[in-house]
Amino acid sequence: MNIAAPVRLPAGKADLSRQAEALRPTHMNAQPILRVVDLKKTFDGFTALDSVNLTVDDGEFLAIVGPSGSGKTTLIRLLVGMEEQTSGEIWLRDSRIDNVPANKRPTCMVFQSLALFPHRSVGENIEFPLKIRGVDPALRRARALELLDLVRLPQHYYGKRIQQCSGGERQRVALARALAFDPEILFFDEPLSALDFRLRKMLEKELKDLHQRTGKTFIYITHSLEEAMVMSDRIAIMRSGRFEQLGPAEEIYAKPKSRFVAEFMGEVNLFRANGNGGTVSFEHVTVDPAAAAKRGLRPGFSGDLMARPESVRLLKPGERADVMATGIVESEYLLGSRVQYLVRLASGYKVTVELSRENRVTWEPGQSMGVGFDLDRAHLIQEA
Amino acid sequence: MHPSNVGRIGLYLYGILILAFLYLPLVAIGFASVSTSRYLSFPIRQYTTQWYAQALESGTVSDLLWISLQVAAIVTVISMVLGFFGALAFARYQWRYRRLYQKLILLPIFFPQSVLGLALLMWFNAVGITPTWHTAIIAHLVWIAPIATLIIAIRAYSFDPALEEAARDMGCSTWQILREVTLPLLMPGVVAAGLFSFLLSWGNFPLSLFTTGADLTLPEWLYAKMVSGYSPLVPTVGMLSVAASIVLVAIALALPPLINRFTRNSSD
Repeated sequence: MNIAAPVRLPAGKADLSRQAEALRPTHMNAQPILRVVDLKKTFDGFTALDSVNLTVDDGEFLAIVGPSGSGKTTLIRLLVGMEEQTSGEIWLRDSRIDNVPANKRPTCMVFQSLALFPHRSVGENIEFPLKIRGVDPALRRARALELLDLVRLPQHYYGKRIQQCSGGERQRVALARALAFDPEILFFDEPLSALDFRLRKMLEKELKDLHQRTGKTFIYITHSLEEAMVMSDRIAIMRSGRFEQLGPAEEIYAKPKSRFVAEFMGEVNLFRANGNGGTVSFEHVTVDPAAAAKRGLRPGFSGDLMARPESVRLLKPGERADVMATGIVESEYLLGSRVQYLVRLASGYKVTVELSRENRVTWEPGQSMGVGFDLDRAHLIQEA
Repeated sequence: MHPSNVGRIGLYLYGILILAFLYLPLVAIGFASVSTSRYLSFPIRQYTTQWYAQALESGTVSDLLWISLQVAAIVTVISMVLGFFGALAFARYQWRYRRLYQKLILLPIFFPQSVLGLALLMWFNAVGITPTWHTAIIAHLVWIAPIATLIIAIRAYSFDPALEEAARDMGCSTWQILREVTLPLLMPGVVAAGLFSFLLSWGNFPLSLFTTGADLTLPEWLYAKMVSGYSPLVPTVGMLSVAASIVLVAIALALPPLINRFTRNSSD
């Protein structure tokens, strides 16, 4: 556990593109620990995994996100050796491991159900991988107590029964057990999904902190994008057995490669290019030609113009923006530190606007309101 | 009186009646076994323990007890082993002919036991095996092993397959998974199955009647004595048999708390 802690930059939405660039080389002494080459898996003619290629750096925290049925669970099961691939290769550092059985691979997984042994105490659960390896009982116990410390559980939990632990405590026990195994790569299969919101938020941050302290490589599967964004260095978005996009969280959030990723990565306003004639125009909105030209938008562009709700603002009378439209405020949602407005345009399209709470506006039902955003805060999704 | 109280008293009376219906016959045999008279009649004029003394001294009775005990013990051990692996195939693993296997396993339980006993006897004759209490073990197993399988399968159904996967992921071989995870988790089911196997074999009459040959088990002897040549030892031997069952059940009930206390002490 003496691998240098990876370098991370503070998050913030101020300058997305610059941060995305800065985050790209994720680690100082990055060298691939895992290499997946053209991995395929079919079940009775159904293609669960369709040619996945992936390189993971030593010490990286990678999140694999996708809707259910996208193949993320199949991928992780192949990587830890619980399923056999139809074709392709898996390399761990310099050795090929795709034909090594699960119990001989130096990887470990935290299961969705946690898979804690109900007939063993907390301490016995944590010691389990060491017991299997034939480690001396006294050493085992010492290591288990150390790990209890690491996952912030009191020492007297050693003798507790699993049934006496709360959901959050069980998460920590499962994590400690996986760390006792001391794997090259630690896999997570949505272990937080069953917890309530507050506890989940807390554990997400702890997990990220633990990743930094241990310097281990974490590969985390989740269907929750927020979870992935909070914790990981890079995010892979999966769709029908393939990686739709792979990159730093900021990049995927700000510069999605497809409508699917844009919509999957949270709330978004998308305007399709009309692409007819010699002008640049999009559905529902008017675009300032000069700004469009400056942005490099040429007539004939086909794809979508994307603006996240926090990039759109409510325009004061007479105020201008590169992209504008007029609509009627339909509803307002308070999100704590943020406030969201749903503005229905004349075409029926609903624009979501998100402001910080200080910028909250007063509005009347049915009141006409201008919405707009500048092109440097928007992203263009080129149609493939 | 409040109407709900009437209802409650009625319910208690009903419960007592049911219990009396279940246990009075047994109590009657208990009295018969300590009465000096040859046949049971109330009131009992004089109490005695002479029948118990006779029974315990009698070579026949101790032979009976010994044969019944051997049959039941061997049936219990084999049923537990067969039931354990059978239950894994029944409830835990997905395989091609699982549904067919599940039905076939259940079938012997629904067979009338006397028909099963007769069929086995004919089969033993055809193969040329002379029936003794050894063959009775096989007959008992045909009927009891499926029951043991079912009891353990109930436990195996509630088993999270991820536990075995996690064990493998952490380096366990197949044998280690069995020893460290599967067996300890199914153990309560295995113990329950063992208890049932013993009691079902110990008290079994129809299968034993056809398949023990010249040997006699306890229930067979009781039946034989009732049909011809009643002996005052009949209620006594019957009570001894009931006592053995009660002792076994008591041990089984006392065991889990004892094991719990022991393991808790050792882990602290």
